[in-house]
Amino acid sequence: MLDALRYEWTRLTTLRSTYWLTGIGVLCALAIPVIAGIAVSDQPLDQTTAAAGLNGGAAFGIPFLAVFMAIIGIFATGHEYRHGTIQPTLTALPQRSRLIAAKILVVSAVTVAVTVFSLALNALTLLAFWGDVPGLFEDPLRSALVGYVVYTLIYTLSGLGLGLLFRGVPSALVVIFLAPLIIENLIFGLSFLPAADWLVPVVKFLPFSSGARLMQVDMTEMTVPGMPDFDYFGRWGSGAVFAVFAAVIIAAAWTLFKKRDA
Amino acid sequence: MITAKGLYKRYRKTVAVDHLSFDVQPGVVTGFLGPNGSGKSTTMRLMLGLDHGEGQTLFDGESFTDIRRPMNKVGTLLEAKPFHPTRSARNHLRMLASANGIGDKRVDEVMELVGLGTVRRKKPKGYSLGMAQRLGLAQALLGDPRILLLDEPTNGLDPHGIHWMRDMLKHLASEGRTIFVSSHLLSEMQLMADELVVIGRGTMIFNGVVDQFVREFTQSTVIVRSPSADGFATALEGAGAAVTKGKDGELVVSGMEIGAVGHLAFTENVELSELSTRSASLEEAFMSATGSSEEFVAAEPLGKTPAAKTPATKTGGADNA
Repeated sequence: MLDALRYEWTRLTTLRSTYWLTGIGVLCALAIPVIAGIAVSDQPLDQTTAAAGLNGGAAFGIPFLAVFMAIIGIFATGHEYRHGTIQPTLTALPQRSRLIAAKILVVSAVTVAVTVFSLALNALTLLAFWGDVPGLFEDPLRSALVGYVVYTLIYTLSGLGLGLLFRGVPSALVVIFLAPLIIENLIFGLSFLPAADWLVPVVKFLPFSSGARLMQVDMTEMTVPGMPDFDYFGRWGSGAVFAVFAAVIIAAAWTLFKKRDA
Repeated sequence: MITAKGLYKRYRKTVAVDHLSFDVQPGVVTGFLGPNGSGKSTTMRLMLGLDHGEGQTLFDGESFTDIRRPMNKVGTLLEAKPFHPTRSARNHLRMLASANGIGDKRVDEVMELVGLGTVRRKKPKGYSLGMAQRLGLAQALLGDPRILLLDEPTNGLDPHGIHWMRDMLKHLASEGRTIFVSSHLLSEMQLMADELVVIGRGTMIFNGVVDQFVREFTQSTVIVRSPSADGFATALEGAGAAVTKGKDGELVVSGMEIGAVGHLAFTENVELSELSTRSASLEEAFMSATGSSEEFVAAEPLGKTPAAKTPATKTGGADNA
């Protein structure tokens, strides 16, 4: 297994795209506390603003870092097919399960490290503007930040699974962007219509929307007149929905990878 | 040594590899021949576990997927340019080497060995096909393996590169390594290979030494030049030989050994200016053996007979092999 981990680490660190995708993701996430600091640093820093600054706007529905790390996840498997390197890879490392396990472990470790680094960088930025980040190590902000790390990790692993499932990059990119932006928003919107109210119980099982609840500071549901009661799961329950989605994709892709011709 | 037993692969209704069994001996270069689409690449992929099918291949007694750090035992080159375009050639090899406990020093060594030392930090997207093949060979040689399995390694190489590859493989075989190499360059294979595995439409046509293959699938002829050619031709035909006249008036005799032709000339008191045997080439033997198993047959120019099929009919072709 150590050989497989060494292989995947070398693969990841010898690709230029790993660096520019990580860099852009961290910089985009950093832009949020910088903009917030310039715009509203004269006002007290509440926990929701602090969370948005720390996670780079991810809680507002723009998970910059997660998206870029998910592309790295897609490249981890999709590139092997796109550039035909799966053949030399499997002649250097023919134990397929070991290869996939190594990809998951290395990409996960890098994702967690980069996300924690991005959080620290954003925390320093908030400190620079406000001089203090109140409640940083207390709940609910602490749980929301842990949730952000978990969210980014699951998002990245979904990308890795999709790249392996589709054996390429473009299809995986389409799914990872279309699913949260269009499909889930469409289902959520349609559930407001009386004729489609059967969609209401489905909403809490939408993976990307559920995953986003991992990063929320205030877990109480927003109540607007006429809005259905979606009966959402709690933070970790919603996170589990997202995790199961990623696990199903990875399990399917893993099984097919073992059965398919390279 | 490579031992392949009952290799079988089907793509829906098409059988690509049909129960192939053969051995590849160490110390010699074994050529793997077959027309386009005959299943050579699929066979190699099956042997390495890249494709799923039936049968078993053992490399010195071990299945490829069971070998820990396989590059140290089996070196492979399967496809031209399987490289990420923005990763340097050296890093490509470092990546594969890292999975097999091979250090960076060896990476630099093999890059020098294949003549890519000066461009090792360049990206393979700028490589010619010939350079990519050299990088592929460097990859195969990374672990200094005892077995090499190479699919069309001379593809894209210039004549100098082909010569270099041939010498390299023969040298590696002389060290007792097992070399299994596919090629469609028959003239190249004639110079390089000691033994052959020949397939057509996924089935075995021949497995043995090159000379035997040529003997088995072609007919040698005897060339005779004589001032009394016409009279001697009648005598030869009378003795049961088939005689045709060549472009320069020489007699082309088949169905009679050279010794018998010489003896007949002696007894008939015929003066000879040439008595020689014309051996068929590997290419002729290949065309004869695989003519009927060609999958993709191009249309012949008007007025010409299909070259591949004529000899196959004459000698019985693949079905009789």
